Amino acid sequence: MDKVIIGGGQGFWGDSNDAAIHMVHTAPLDYMACDYLAELTLSIMARQKIKNPAAGFARDFLGLYKACGEEAFRKNIGILTNAGGMNIEGCVDGIRQIAEEKGLHGLKIGYVTGDDLTADIPRLLAEGVDFKNIDDVGDFNEIKDKIFNANVYFGHEPTLACLEQGANVVITGRSTDSALFLAPCMHKMGWAPDDWNNLARGIMAGHLLECGGQGAGGNYDYGWRDVPRMDELGFPIAEITPDSFHITKAPDCGGIICEQSCKEQFLYEVHDPANYITPDVVVDISNATLTQDGENRVRVGNVKGKQRPDTLKLSIGYHAGFKVAGMLSFAWPDAYEKAQYAAEIIMKKMKRKGLQYEDIRIDYIGLNALHLDVAEIDPKEVKDLNEVVLRIAIRTKTKEECAKIVPEFAPLQLNGPPGASFFGGRAHIQEVIGLWPTLIPRDALHLKSNILEIK
Amino acid sequence: MAKIYLNQIAHGRSGDKGDTSNVCVFAKDPKDYELIKEQVTPEKVKEYFGNMVKGEVTRYEVPSLNGFNFVMKHALGGGATHSLRLDSLGKSMGSAFLRMKIDYPDDAE
Repeated sequence: MDKVIIGGGQGFWGDSNDAAIHMVHTAPLDYMACDYLAELTLSIMARQKIKNPAAGFARDFLGLYKACGEEAFRKNIGILTNAGGMNIEGCVDGIRQIAEEKGLHGLKIGYVTGDDLTADIPRLLAEGVDFKNIDDVGDFNEIKDKIFNANVYFGHEPTLACLEQGANVVITGRSTDSALFLAPCMHKMGWAPDDWNNLARGIMAGHLLECGGQGAGGNYDYGWRDVPRMDELGFPIAEITPDSFHITKAPDCGGIICEQSCKEQFLYEVHDPANYITPDVVVDISNATLTQDGENRVRVGNVKGKQRPDTLKLSIGYHAGFKVAGMLSFAWPDAYEKAQYAAEIIMKKMKRKGLQYEDIRIDYIGLNALHLDVAEIDPKEVKDLNEVVLRIAIRTKTKEECAKIVPEFAPLQLNGPPGASFFGGRAHIQEVIGLWPTLIPRDALHLKSNILEIK
Repeated sequence: MAKIYLNQIAHGRSGDKGDTSNVCVFAKDPKDYELIKEQVTPEKVKEYFGNMVKGEVTRYEVPSLNGFNFVMKHALGGGATHSLRLDSLGKSMGSAFLRMKIDYPDDAE
């Protein structure tokens, strides 16, 4: 075939379904891929699954599938997603139920299992894998007994295998976001697994689409006021032929596809643009071009690829203590001075209670809680601040340490400087999930592609 | 020579990978690319952020897009859920970066 059209339906777990439903309804798609997994998501899902064995995947995908799965099936639009998270079978079963209710006879659900290596760590250690942290911090021995999950970022192979067996829907765990887009490109265009330049084009299509609205005028620094109909923001769509690669969006929706919007997404979370490492190919976009080629249509050029790496990234989530943040708001006059005094009072009490913390932050929301040290603070303006929110956050080794500070915020309404206002109820102590990124040899991973057909 | 905010001549976006923050910065007008290259050096960025960015800062040039990618290590207060920052993923690192002041020649218009 000489063209593949693929849409990006989700940017993260918790994203809006509106744009995905709209593109299935109005755009001439071959495929739609939906990314649900950010760096921490699998660790959160692993924790959920411990509490409830039926949880551990992106349940939101079931709602999306309910809304547009039947139409996608009738129009032969393939849907790919990593919504399976830590419970692939749970997600597959949810889709099976919806498909049966809607009578989607002959629907094939492909799914990929085997990316969770948590149980394999002792064996891999014995085989000599060193689990060295690629960010050069810490000693693996200190975390190896506190692991929640260990998932490998894998490439196109098992997803492509599902498509080759006729899957209409493919559900994975920690597939890279971009491989969910690359696999259908390879399937439809017949690209070879060592056709590095084409593989790089497929990966960059995925990269431009995997964050959903952020590729079509959302989070758009250059000209956010100029983005039409943000309340109906469309998500981006890629059109790829053997000699062209365009980004566009569905008809009759909001958003913008222009050089600047594509640029901002193009380098997002990339490190070295000449060596953007994925399991499928090392991408070189250091000489790439983005050119307006019609309304809401940008041509992507000069994307190059090099041989893929021999190793795969394994992301390990581990228990790293506890944290809590408490807040109190203050109003004019002298809001900032009062908030600072309240912080001083709380910290004196904490000293008396012998609080042991690993890290602490005291910030003032409305003044410097986002830009921190580079926030510009004019003493005269600060004196006249209308309001400010004190925020104290601590990280501790034990839950008991965090619990020491929790009850100390509300009493300052009556016991502290005037006008303090407590809101939102007592702060919740959260478990801290640490991330340990490491590299493992490819042959440590044994993925399986499965097919379930709806009779 | 006037002092201006970088965001008057550049736009960008920040992202996160663990405790590493990346900010891509593009000249709004291609003629300002060289000026940004000259003034917004990795050393200047490191100095600007001070204690906020504890690791090294690397700058990658992408002249075909009139842009740069700045990669800043140990820049998110520990990264992931270690971070106690309100903005633990550094979504506002982009605007913080573009708040840097640079010298802009008066006759550059």
